[in-house]
Amino acid sequence: MRPAAAAALLAALAAAALLAHRTVSVAAIAVVLLAVCLRAPAGRRRMYLVGAIGSGLAVVLVTPFVETIGSHPLWTGPIVPVLGQLDVTSEELRNGLFQGLRLTAVALAFAAYALLLDHDRLVQSARFARRSVLAVALATRLVPTLERDAAGLVEALRGRGVEVSGLRGRARLLSPLLAGSLERALNLAEAMEARGYGRPGATRAPRPGWRPRDQAAILVAALLVAIGALWL
Amino acid sequence: MALATVRLLSFSYPGAPAALRDVSLQVEPGEVVALFGPSGSGKSTLLRALAGLVPHFHGGRFSGRVEIAGRDTRTTRPAELAGIVATLFQDPEDQVVFTRVEAEVTFGLENVGTRPAEIPSRVAAALDAVGAGALAERPVAELSGGELQRVCLASVLALEPRLLLLDEPTSQLDPDGAAAAIELARSSGAAVVVSEQRPERVLEACDRVIFLDEGRLTEDRLPDAWLPRDAVFPHGEPSGQEVCRLEEVSFAYERPVLERVSLQVGRGELVALLGPNGSGKTTIGKLAAGLLEPQSGRVVRHGRACYLSQDPGRYLVAERADEEVALAVDGDLARARAALAELGLAGHASRHPRDLSSGERERLALAAVLVAEPDLLVLDEPTRGIDPERKDELVRLLRSQARGRATLVATNDRVFAGAVADRVVSTVPEREAVLA
Repeated sequence: MRPAAAAALLAALAAAALLAHRTVSVAAIAVVLLAVCLRAPAGRRRMYLVGAIGSGLAVVLVTPFVETIGSHPLWTGPIVPVLGQLDVTSEELRNGLFQGLRLTAVALAFAAYALLLDHDRLVQSARFARRSVLAVALATRLVPTLERDAAGLVEALRGRGVEVSGLRGRARLLSPLLAGSLERALNLAEAMEARGYGRPGATRAPRPGWRPRDQAAILVAALLVAIGALWL
Repeated sequence: MALATVRLLSFSYPGAPAALRDVSLQVEPGEVVALFGPSGSGKSTLLRALAGLVPHFHGGRFSGRVEIAGRDTRTTRPAELAGIVATLFQDPEDQVVFTRVEAEVTFGLENVGTRPAEIPSRVAAALDAVGAGALAERPVAELSGGELQRVCLASVLALEPRLLLLDEPTSQLDPDGAAAAIELARSSGAAVVVSEQRPERVLEACDRVIFLDEGRLTEDRLPDAWLPRDAVFPHGEPSGQEVCRLEEVSFAYERPVLERVSLQVGRGELVALLGPNGSGKTTIGKLAAGLLEPQSGRVVRHGRACYLSQDPGRYLVAERADEEVALAVDGDLARARAALAELGLAGHASRHPRDLSSGERERLALAAVLVAEPDLLVLDEPTRGIDPERKDELVRLLRSQARGRATLVATNDRVFAGAVADRVVSTVPEREAVLA
């Protein structure tokens, strides 16, 4: 399948998760996307899965304490300045689970895009908004680039006999990682300009045409969005 | 008529002293010009001026005039010059846009409006020319530094430019790869301006030499320190009390890199590992320093080991230079400042490491390992991107401290290896063994 068709399917699944009204529907979409992500090599998918599932869990845990909905309290806690009285209702728990699953599903759709799609072909096949597609593709590369830079920093420190461990040790890496990313972005922008990026009259290398299954995927993607909005 | 004309060019980056001062230069069609000069002398800035990136991309104060094929760079943007001019930048990792090799080479051709039907054949021809035809479908992230440098060279050669600007194009290549890359650029028919730190790699291929010092074009010949030297290898035998021993060590990443390799380094001994790209020098260094564990065989180490990676200036973490160095000695700032002073960085202790020049960053990284006074010091390609004068300083520094420790240097710089080492060990390309 062409990357553009696969990207449309993933985007449709994410949209369906956002439009669906039932927790079980969102959970089913998240499970499908998780199964897709598991096709990626274990070493590469770990960080994405931890991020997607971790952020969903965080929403599940935090939502009951910051929302004030429902009339079936399960636990009543102390009064906390600013937040008021802490309580957890069954409605808040259900809503937290629903929102957490939504976030996880959207994050998993992005993870599948980042891990499994050929971004080069996606950019090259873009018929419009090519600059935006390229910007997204470059942003997607940020995660593996940061991983590689972090590994280099850890190795450089281990080479001096300094072990990087714990939250504090890893926090030390944030500032150099950010600075390195900014330097790299500037260098890349310069190299792109030197290679003629943005000048009028650009052409495109020949690409294979769309096959029936690619067209079918686009149709299924549109249907998924409609089904998500109307029936799920 | 000259292809490139530079008249009384002076330039300063924003908030910085002058990087170029009254530079005048002409480059004729098809001419190969070698550009030399110490680190920070303005070589990269001059190349950027020829590409129009100075002043368009960087801003700053610009006076004088640069014309490329009759176009004034003050009124012509770099993207409009692309195709006439092509630039290979110093660090290949920072100029790659796409994730696969073929798409990377295609990018520039599409931008400059090459006819679609021509693009695939030009991509294939450029990759074949640099010996990277087999890499077309490979992900860029999986390439070695040398392979990536070849792919970047293919990306600029595919444009068939009239003026080719090469900024240290051989820094990650072994001598054979470097000679092939320079010959390829020369035979492309384009005028070439090539900046290099290793004169022996380009002198034979160039028509003319220019030398920059503190932003001024000083002379059309090289100072004595820059004249090419022959590599003279010592014939030492393993000596000194054993500090590190590799016994029948094998290691593989996705494919085997080392098989049944043995090596011993003694205290007071300085051993150079010399070999082509991909022959396992870095892996041996990491195994010796304990950063990797062998998959078979064993590594015996006595005392503390420190390892300085390639391009170490990229991997600095602290907010101040002295704090960076103190990391290896439990925050002892007094020892850190002494180590900085030893490497000529005494006045930079309170500066942010990223505010230092690339050469200063490398010295800072070296201070950050030397301060620990390791029993085994492993240096990986320590001469990458440094000029001959600083290389001589490095030789003197390592030699002066060699007695107290065992030192292992992985390098493809034959002259440096001959000058610094007591013993040179070559890694064979077939990766079968190490010849002691």
